[in-house]
Amino acid sequence: MEFAIISTLNGVTYGLLLFMVSAGLTLIFGMMGVLNFAHASFYMLGAYVAYAVSSIFGFWIGLIVAPIVVGLIGMAVERFLLPRVHAHGHAHELLLTFGLALIIEELIKLFFGDFPVNYQMPADLRFSAFSVFGSNYPFYRLFIGGVAVVMFAVLWLLLTRTRTGIVVRAAERLPAMAEALGHNIPMVFMFVFGTGAALAGLGGAVAGAFYPTNPNMGIELGVIVFVVVVVGGLGSLKGSLLASLLIGLFSSFAVGLDWSLAGLFGLFGLGDWARSLGGLMTLELSSVSATIPFALMLIVLLVRPAGLMGEPN
Amino acid sequence: MASMRTILILAAILLLLVAVPPFLGIAWQNALVNVLIASLFALAFNLLIGQAGLLSFGHAAYFGIGAFAALHLMIAVEDGFDFPTPLLPVAGAAAGLLVGIVAGYFATMRSGVYFALVTLAIAELFHSLAPHLQGVFGGESGVSSMRMPWQGIVFGSIIEVYYLTLGWVLICGLALWTYTRTPFGRLTLALRDNEQRVRFLGYDAHAAKVIVFAISAMFSGVAGALLAISNETANYSLFATDVSAQVVLQTFVGGSTVFFGPVVGAAAFTLFSFLVSDLTRSWVFYQGLIFVLVMLFAPTGIGGVVQFHARHRRQLDRSRLAGPYALALLGGLLIAGGVVYLTETVAVLFGQGYAVRMRDAVDGLPNYDLFGISWNPVSILTWLLPLVLVAVGGVILVRARRSIAGFWDRVGRSDGPVETKAAAPGGPA
Repeated sequence: MEFAIISTLNGVTYGLLLFMVSAGLTLIFGMMGVLNFAHASFYMLGAYVAYAVSSIFGFWIGLIVAPIVVGLIGMAVERFLLPRVHAHGHAHELLLTFGLALIIEELIKLFFGDFPVNYQMPADLRFSAFSVFGSNYPFYRLFIGGVAVVMFAVLWLLLTRTRTGIVVRAAERLPAMAEALGHNIPMVFMFVFGTGAALAGLGGAVAGAFYPTNPNMGIELGVIVFVVVVVGGLGSLKGSLLASLLIGLFSSFAVGLDWSLAGLFGLFGLGDWARSLGGLMTLELSSVSATIPFALMLIVLLVRPAGLMGEPN
Repeated sequence: MASMRTILILAAILLLLVAVPPFLGIAWQNALVNVLIASLFALAFNLLIGQAGLLSFGHAAYFGIGAFAALHLMIAVEDGFDFPTPLLPVAGAAAGLLVGIVAGYFATMRSGVYFALVTLAIAELFHSLAPHLQGVFGGESGVSSMRMPWQGIVFGSIIEVYYLTLGWVLICGLALWTYTRTPFGRLTLALRDNEQRVRFLGYDAHAAKVIVFAISAMFSGVAGALLAISNETANYSLFATDVSAQVVLQTFVGGSTVFFGPVVGAAAFTLFSFLVSDLTRSWVFYQGLIFVLVMLFAPTGIGGVVQFHARHRRQLDRSRLAGPYALALLGGLLIAGGVVYLTETVAVLFGQGYAVRMRDAVDGLPNYDLFGISWNPVSILTWLLPLVLVAVGGVILVRARRSIAGFWDRVGRSDGPVETKAAAPGGPA
């Protein structure tokens, strides 16, 4: 019971963090058809900017500055780099952002070194929210989840309840028509791209203080985020929320379970035979928890190629 | 359609590849082995993106599988299994083909960006699983073996490995080239250009894509096996994303639209990393920069630019183009100098060695050494120099580009070798 509650909490907070990053990715894709490979690099950039700023001005200033800086970088990428390759098709846009991801990672290594930096949450956030079954649950995990929830409430209200939101949704559905009605669509695209990048940057700034901040954090999370969007269906916000939570929960439960295929065969009295085979049979779920998201993706591809909420292509 | 000129050039390159290496040092021979392996890997990768229009971000998986398969066969040979050493890459081919069929079945369920993501995830699947599978991938330390002698050839020296690699790379390269001439090779192109039409013509597009994927994986497996034979060891890091990333960079810098383009990119990057890896730690950064610049200004890569000039060699007015081209080269070199200077300066100033010296320094920031000169980090001159280099180089380059573009416009080829104004439509989407 204790394991179930703690794992659920961890899984949901991790899932919300995944959603924070994948939402921007899927929003940009839905609108422009650009899969931004550098999106996870924006997440890493957010953590490093927050680290650099917070070491001088304090944690909260860093938390505010990081998404702004990352958002501006995102806007610059959309404004000056993407249009140059747009005519060559989406593959070239993907390749360009892929190159950018590489450059960002190497720049981070250049300035901060190829090792984790000491980016920590402030002492006044370092307390336990409550204790379940004698173990304290860190408040900061709830804080990460809380930031994600608040961010999405704001984003959702913005998209559905304001005039700007209407223009953005119109630009997503029928860009040419919205432009004909006198709206500045290139500007809208730039701001959406910037907002998506800023969300990833905020995610990095918040999560970097809890998880390790190192030059690999971008690609490590990035791969999972890509799995999230494939499972959820690219372009669908609801799909990414579902997939994020699903993968968050699966991962956090898998860490604590020592199930193996041999155990499964044991239920049918074939345990000893399976154990004698070794290899995959005796591999415990906890040691392959990093593999779970990819396995989940393959299953979803097999059963529902368009993703849980995606439209068939 | 291979013209006499192309055949002569290829024959000359082949002669160099066969005749020169025995006179080179061991380090160079080793570097050439890596060049050959990278070339084959890039060619196999380009079968997917260049021919079928499928962009894979996870080709490290099939490269790695090939390496491990070859190593397991080598271990079996060590234990007395009778198998000729020169045929070891067959194991890599078989393993690559099998894994390629399974992975390709999943990956080609979706096209476009989904395909890229799924291939990336499949490679990550191997990368995350391999360290935990002691039997197959040898855990974190990996699998090691020894090359066994065969028919009097000991395979003890690098030059023997070099010729083995050369033979395999030539055969596979030829096979891949022949593939593009077969009816199925034409169908592969059709998959890229208009998949729907292929389906309407009665072909099973998914099955065709799985086959193309599997063939590409098979040749990647051969490349991996050659690496395993050369290194006699492999571990799970072969599945890492940077292996997949390298082949993408090399292929596109070399040019994916030309058959031999990827070879140019692979050779250039592998040789360069061999030459500069002792001098700088920022090599990957430069690679990324080169890649992005190529994507922005010459999307067809080196091969594409060369092909453009070869195709229009009759209109090439050497007397009028030599000046602007030399100017462009000068501008490019100045910018490169400035950027390299800035990068290396940052690498020194933010490095750990400098942090220690800064702590020990009595007053202010201590000087640092770069390119054999001692620089003062707070002097204006130190920072003005690279900025001036970049600015002057930029001005020269922009002017040179304008006159080059003007020349090609007058000739009536607005689809010039480098992007000038609005990009021309076309290219794999």
